[in-house]
Amino acid sequence: MSTVISVIERLRSRIGLPAEPVHALVEAGHLKRFAEAIGDRDPRWVDEAPPTFLVALVPISMHLEEAEEYGKGWLNGGNRFEYFEPVRVGDRITATGKVADVYEKTGSSGSLLFIIFETEYVNQHGRRVAHLRGTAIRR
Amino acid sequence: MNVAVGEEIPELVKNPTTRQLVQYAGAQGDFYEIHYDQDFARSVGLPGVILHGLLKAAFLGQLVTDWLGDRGTLKMFEVSYRGIDVPGKPYRCRGRVTKVNGGDVELEVWGEDQDGNRTTIGTANVELS
Repeated sequence: MSTVISVIERLRSRIGLPAEPVHALVEAGHLKRFAEAIGDRDPRWVDEAPPTFLVALVPISMHLEEAEEYGKGWLNGGNRFEYFEPVRVGDRITATGKVADVYEKTGSSGSLLFIIFETEYVNQHGRRVAHLRGTAIRR
Repeated sequence: MNVAVGEEIPELVKNPTTRQLVQYAGAQGDFYEIHYDQDFARSVGLPGVILHGLLKAAFLGQLVTDWLGDRGTLKMFEVSYRGIDVPGKPYRCRGRVTKVNGGDVELEVWGEDQDGNRTTIGTANVELS
């Protein structure tokens, strides 16, 4: 039990602290492989990122390794994307993530640990292109 | 473009395979074993490998962008995963218009398994141009 409490406390101590920004180039080949993998043949995605592409650009769940001390597996609870500008091939994106909240819920089937994380995406012109909020669950 | 509350948008049926899960794992860079290792998936209490939540989100994203085309811009897209889905079964993406305020349109979207259970639910906000 003390391990569980310390995992939650350690994760909670990070709430709101921005992680080291990650830089990534939007590459034509990656976009093509992503569109093929989701089975979306719209020719628009040759040059432009489809709605969920940003999750493939940089790892979205930072700092989560230590959460694996809790429970036995991960679940994805949900994702929320806000879009401000299109993302296109050749864009250099800077992604900055943070843990927005950490809490435990106990239900009929046991305890779950919820980790809410947020990522802000800015392009090479310093313009905010998107914001992602995700819920990762340990069960 | 005339959009009315209650209007259903054209459905999109996907037929995900284990091959597609591996393809998606590579394209996203999500190598969690529950999406390609049957033994591992069963060891954590799953019936076998399951679809990535974000792959289902991508399917629902396509549902919205196929409908929208170049008539507007997607502003917000959110999904909640309520149940698991396995490869080898059709995954039916559906949606309908829930709000219209000038050019701002809200859609309710969802993904159904073969039995009609809504295993993913979501909302999309679009701005018509």
